[in-house]
Amino acid sequence: MKKIVTISLSLMMAFVLMSSQQVFAKDPVKIGVLVPLTGIVAQGGLEMKMGIEMAAEEKGTILGRDIKLYVEDTQVKPPIAVSKAEKLVYKDGCKALIGVFSSGVGLALASNIDKLKVPFLSTHVMTTEFYGIHPLVFRSGQLANDQTAVGNVKGIMARPDLKEKTYYVLVHDYAWGHDAGQRFIDLAKENGIKIYNEEYDRAPIATKDWSSYISKIKASGVDGVYIAFITNVIPVFAKQMSDFGLQGKVKTISAAAPGPLELEAGGEACFGIFGASDWSWDVDTPASNKWEMAFWEKYKTIPSDAAAHSYVGAMNLFNAIEKAGSTDAQAIAQALKGISFDGPYGNVRISAKDNCMRNSAVLTETMAAPENPFGAKVTMKVLHTFTAEELGPPE
Amino acid sequence: MSGTFSIAIDLLLNSLVLSGVFLIVAMGLNIIYGLSRIMNMSHGALYAVGAYIGYSLVATGVNYFAALIITPILVGIIGLLIERTIILPMRKRSMVYTLILTYGLMFFLDGMIKHIWGNRPRFIELPEFMQGMISILGTQYPVYRLMTLFMIAAIMIALMLLLSKTKAGIIMRAASTIPEMVSCMGINMSYVHMGAFMLGCAMAGAAGIIAGPLTTIDPLMGGEMLISSFVVVVIGGLGSLRGAVIAAILIGFVQTFTEFFITDLAMVIVFIMMAVILAFMPRGLLGEGKFE
Amino acid sequence: MNSTTSIPGISKRFYPLKIFAVILILCSLALFPFISDNRFYISLITEMMIYGLLAMSLDVLLGYTGLLSFMHNTYMGICAYAVGLFLIHISPTSLWLACFAGVVFTSLVALPVGWVQVRTGGLAFALLTLAFGMMFYTIVWKWYAVTGGDDGLMGMPNPDITLFGWHLGSSSDPVNIYLFTLTVVTICFFLTRRIINSPFGAVLEAIRENEDRASFVGINVRRYKLLGWMLACILASIAGALFILYKGYIGPSTMSAFAGAGVLMMVLLGGMGSLWGAFAGAFIFIYIQDYISTMTEHWEIFLGLFVIFLVLFLPTGFAGLGDYFKRFRKA
Repeated sequence: MKKIVTISLSLMMAFVLMSSQQVFAKDPVKIGVLVPLTGIVAQGGLEMKMGIEMAAEEKGTILGRDIKLYVEDTQVKPPIAVSKAEKLVYKDGCKALIGVFSSGVGLALASNIDKLKVPFLSTHVMTTEFYGIHPLVFRSGQLANDQTAVGNVKGIMARPDLKEKTYYVLVHDYAWGHDAGQRFIDLAKENGIKIYNEEYDRAPIATKDWSSYISKIKASGVDGVYIAFITNVIPVFAKQMSDFGLQGKVKTISAAAPGPLELEAGGEACFGIFGASDWSWDVDTPASNKWEMAFWEKYKTIPSDAAAHSYVGAMNLFNAIEKAGSTDAQAIAQALKGISFDGPYGNVRISAKDNCMRNSAVLTETMAAPENPFGAKVTMKVLHTFTAEELGPPE
Repeated sequence: MSGTFSIAIDLLLNSLVLSGVFLIVAMGLNIIYGLSRIMNMSHGALYAVGAYIGYSLVATGVNYFAALIITPILVGIIGLLIERTIILPMRKRSMVYTLILTYGLMFFLDGMIKHIWGNRPRFIELPEFMQGMISILGTQYPVYRLMTLFMIAAIMIALMLLLSKTKAGIIMRAASTIPEMVSCMGINMSYVHMGAFMLGCAMAGAAGIIAGPLTTIDPLMGGEMLISSFVVVVIGGLGSLRGAVIAAILIGFVQTFTEFFITDLAMVIVFIMMAVILAFMPRGLLGEGKFE
Repeated sequence: MNSTTSIPGISKRFYPLKIFAVILILCSLALFPFISDNRFYISLITEMMIYGLLAMSLDVLLGYTGLLSFMHNTYMGICAYAVGLFLIHISPTSLWLACFAGVVFTSLVALPVGWVQVRTGGLAFALLTLAFGMMFYTIVWKWYAVTGGDDGLMGMPNPDITLFGWHLGSSSDPVNIYLFTLTVVTICFFLTRRIINSPFGAVLEAIRENEDRASFVGINVRRYKLLGWMLACILASIAGALFILYKGYIGPSTMSAFAGAGVLMMVLLGGMGSLWGAFAGAFIFIYIQDYISTMTEHWEIFLGLFVIFLVLFLPTGFAGLGDYFKRFRKA
């Protein structure tokens, strides 16, 4: 009997202890970082975390207060991400949330933002549903699906060899993949690019063995394939395409930029992947070169697009808090509208109209890397640079 | 390039490769279950450990074929350590406990893999002659994929010989049917359990290094393989080695062909098939499974 | 197949201290949101209570009827989807009707499945639950048009909580959901306890102990197993209805086999055959998981070690702790 009393008393104690934790006003500015550190995109999540940490270190202080980052693992699972966001906001007292990989997670958070009541700046959610989804939800990072589709279609139209090809569309089976596939197909049809399967194929995210899909591509006799896969999977697919002897015969156009570490792992099998992205370390501007060397010095990791745009997104958020003059949610949200930052890939501005960023971007193709300080063997060679106006969407 | 016949051959070979990998993993799971009534939830993680060890060996310059031999031995030793430290004290308890225990072990091994090798995918570098394509029955097929079929066949033959010709194998087979009798013969069942667990883990390791170059090595590979091999074992009948062969081939073919023809429903059909088969044959196709 | 710490009949005896403890726990839970305004803990405890209900429903099956279900979370998921779809497509305001429809729908799904499953027993039963669970999981996961596939069901409206026309507050406020969950879970707990302590519960335990003997004394074993299964599924579906109201979201990962093993772990952690133990198990499991995953990015290693040590050294679970100490004192 004593046992029950002891247990109930200790439970009472636990509640009292829990409730006595207070949030002090003169704390550092607390920012919640939601990135996947386990699961399929763990590497991408790690790079996002690096970019955001680098920005925080460079920024130093906001409003004379230190920046304190609270990093939580979303495991790329929407319900877990929502729980973690609640923890960040209510337990740790974070004033803003940043990060998030995967449109599914992003949309789940956006639908809960009314409960969280803090601004949420996504750096890696590409779905077009994010345009103006909520006054507290922003995007500054990876190009959105419509922007990528515009970049890719413009890139294909500019190349006579790519223009005449027929494309097989294969996407990952979730919100982003569907959106990316559909955007590309619509725009390609407008421009007269031939699509083999307008009812595009949807592969489960967990797919490891692509042989059935590759057989299908082989059977269809197409000479191009448009893929919308999570970054880490792109080299896996490319490797298997190469195993089946399709590399070079079937041109791979990718909706997402493959991560540099994954490209290194895939090696020569990954040559020839074509696609639009924000940035690649091949970009040769003083700002870009300076940033990538700083990143390399700090982490000894090949700088990636994910790290670069997370860095820029974090900078935009920090500057907005400074501009707002307080950590009030509405004030930060107001300050984020129209803010811009000059980073490794030029000016990145968050549109005041739909809360999503506009920036220039590059069209790249993977090939053997020139001599470089990172010891990388594969590079995303820059073929062309798009201006922000070209990619849209119009404001 | 797009002849119907060559596509059919492609699909046939793809199915066989997939079946083969499922078979080796499921076989290991089945040996452990058949001999010691343990559902090893960490089997998928051990498969991943095998693939990563294989990767590290090849990356440090060990010959691929040597790695093919060393990896299963190393994973077998890991299995030995696991068996002696945490599985042994659980022998007398209900199966539910070992289930949860190995579930915890799965988390631990997955975490260790991430801790040691990181998150990014890895590819095993193959020797030059295995990288190309080979012309077979009018289709171009990757050499390595074809070679895996031979490797899997070799493993299965070796396993068959082990079980039917050697004394250890005969003891194992006897122990899977009447363990009491075997202990009456003065054979320590504890060692039989240990041997079975080691053998099962070694099979998982072998599957890991064989399947590694086919796809990619990443920390998630274990969980996915666990589900697939579970399906194979359950459909074939728990502890039934022949059932596993039939079920692996069935699943491999169904999965490949549905992915090709009805892409959107691929996995749904596999699992509906599993539910239907079990609804009519609750003990699997060749149900030799006994409960405790 | 399992060891249990409950002795039939003992819980029927009157213990003033026990009643006092129950009232104390319930009061502290009910007062908690008014003492603390920390919404994180309110959400966490809501989640713990919902998973506690789910674990308890599995315990009815495992600890009392002796049937193992690998994927009991499937039925929680199915009901959550049903409630969510009802609120989105049919009526965004009728909370009670949605919950009722969800529970009925889940029962209709669970009934034929149970009918097939109870013809077997032991491990075959367990594997069938896995097969059907995986089937439902993949259907939900691939049926993008209805369920939202991998992204899950989004855009859930927040209906008001009303009772006989009496407005109790909006479900968008976590405190309301907390109190609502607490009420429903408490009612479910006492109802289940009543059922388990009735002759019906005794029959279930008889089946657990020895199916053959139970059938010799004239018990229709299959019928009772099916009833036990349906009771467990209905309780799980109530947990599902609470889950979607609390999260405003449901995705396939909640229904996966790994999540199912997590629920099994909660039951074991709490101790099989103890209703309140299941709640204790869920509380500990969720707290530990949350705590470890915050501490380190290698949380999987520590969670794994925790589970291994627990199974090795505390096999009777939290509910068995008392016995352990008793034995210790005697020795």
